[in-house]
Amino acid sequence: MGQKRVKVNICVGTACFVQGGADLLLYEDFLEPQLLGLCDIEGTSCLGLCKQDNSDWKAPFVEIDGTVYSNVTPKRLEELLREAVDA
Amino acid sequence: MLEINNQYTLMKRHIDTEVLRAFFAGTLEDVVDNLPIHIIPRTRDPNRCCVYKERAMVRYRIMALLGVDIEKDDDEYKTLSSYVKESLETKTPVFPSLTTISPGCSSCPDEQYRITDSCRGCFARPCLANCPKEAIVFVNGKAHIDEKRCIKCGKCLGVCPFHAVIHVPVPCEEACPVDAIHKNEEGFVEIDREKCIDCGHCSRSCPFGAIAERSSLMQVAGMLKKKEEVVAMIAPAIEGQFPGSLGQIVAGLKALGFSDVVEVAEGAHITAAHEAEELQERLSRGDKFMTTSCCPAYMQLVDRHVPTLSELRSKALSPMGYTARLCAERRPEAKLVFIGPCLAKKIEAAQFPEIETVITFAELASLLVARDIDIKEMVVSQDDVHVKTYADCREFAVPQGVANSVIRRSEKPIQVMNINGVDQKTVRLMKTWTKRAPEAELIEVMCCEGGCLAGPGVLVNPKIANRLRQGANVATVGSKPLGGAKHV
Repeated sequence: MGQKRVKVNICVGTACFVQGGADLLLYEDFLEPQLLGLCDIEGTSCLGLCKQDNSDWKAPFVEIDGTVYSNVTPKRLEELLREAVDA
Repeated sequence: MLEINNQYTLMKRHIDTEVLRAFFAGTLEDVVDNLPIHIIPRTRDPNRCCVYKERAMVRYRIMALLGVDIEKDDDEYKTLSSYVKESLETKTPVFPSLTTISPGCSSCPDEQYRITDSCRGCFARPCLANCPKEAIVFVNGKAHIDEKRCIKCGKCLGVCPFHAVIHVPVPCEEACPVDAIHKNEEGFVEIDREKCIDCGHCSRSCPFGAIAERSSLMQVAGMLKKKEEVVAMIAPAIEGQFPGSLGQIVAGLKALGFSDVVEVAEGAHITAAHEAEELQERLSRGDKFMTTSCCPAYMQLVDRHVPTLSELRSKALSPMGYTARLCAERRPEAKLVFIGPCLAKKIEAAQFPEIETVITFAELASLLVARDIDIKEMVVSQDDVHVKTYADCREFAVPQGVANSVIRRSEKPIQVMNINGVDQKTVRLMKTWTKRAPEAELIEVMCCEGGCLAGPGVLVNPKIANRLRQGANVATVGSKPLGGAKHV
């Protein structure tokens, strides 16, 4: 039995893309190959969360195994994926 | 130079979006004075000294967005709402395109080379041996630099086996190719207007955001809100800037309210054909070489700093110039807005009465977000299918692309050279060209390293832009290696 794979959706709606989501798409460059190998990463349509009026809840959004995270930077994405892989 | 996306550029886009949202909702004058507080809440963990300073900088950013020349017209007693009122009534003047925000300037220490604690005070002492000015002194067995003697050549940095020498630049001064930016007597940033070529390198490299471009975005938003007949002329670099295909970007622009969208690549086709013909004429009459003329910062560079090249530039108009003429013929009543990656284009556009104004891709992005337009979800209509005759000229946005387009239109083979990014060294080199001709017939000059795709007004890292331009799907673009099939 191999390890279970982590399903990752990076929002590529315009609001996320503009607020730094575009840089997350360079994941091949900043994630370690071992980590990358355990994740299925894709860009996804707008998750609709940017339209909520909550000042702490900011683009860009990433969904990891069904849970949505806000304000994701490349560094934070790596941390989140590490946690998800270890879980 | 800083990466395209950093805390400052993201904040800038956030501010622009909030201002535009209020503008389209018709509440801008009422809410604008509270926007800095709304954007920087007291609970925020500040990047500057405190949230209050951050709010002050948001205020300045809004002023720049309104087109205010902060250097000249900063009046602390004046409310933002009165600035809004004035700016919506008047057209933003073009000059100067960049304005400095002295309260934001960190007064960085002068450029210097310094020896750190890593110096081991070695026996060989290569720093001492290689310093041409005897500026290295040893105190307590460790090396120091005598600042009075140091000429900042950097030789010591290159030879130290412990990497103990560091170079501390002033980012804006280092980025400026023409020595036009300095600290004034008070220690704050100041731009020499006689020397400045509006390339925008300083504003891109200042990590404090102390140099802002005066925007025309509100003017464009106003035209769209009034539903005027406005044509968007989109620069060849736009492909790959947004999460979707070129057709989807065009559809997004129309959803914003632009009456029509015209690719500047169409004008680029005329520029390239003109340059191909002109080059042969020049060579046959004995000229050694010709340079391209489409980069507006380069055009100003020659005018202001390298006059010896002024006759060696192609006489062709820039793609924007030809496109503006085509548009004006087709739709004489329409107002033309150029949307590109470039700040210097604003200065160039002022020479064309046909062109109303210029905004950047980053500013366009704020417009799209403010209007909740999602490029990825746009449906491409049949009218947005593009003509193939000039499609190859979209390559004007990348280094070597202009030259390639000229080569394709030339009857004879031509030798080309490309200047990919202009810095102080390149300027010195250019000054020698009339004495010692470069070994090329056509010299393509792009002021920004990486071409227009790396201009000061772009939205995404050129790596992502390149992959999207090569036809990668935005959903899987991160896993696509470079070099996919071209979809032209």
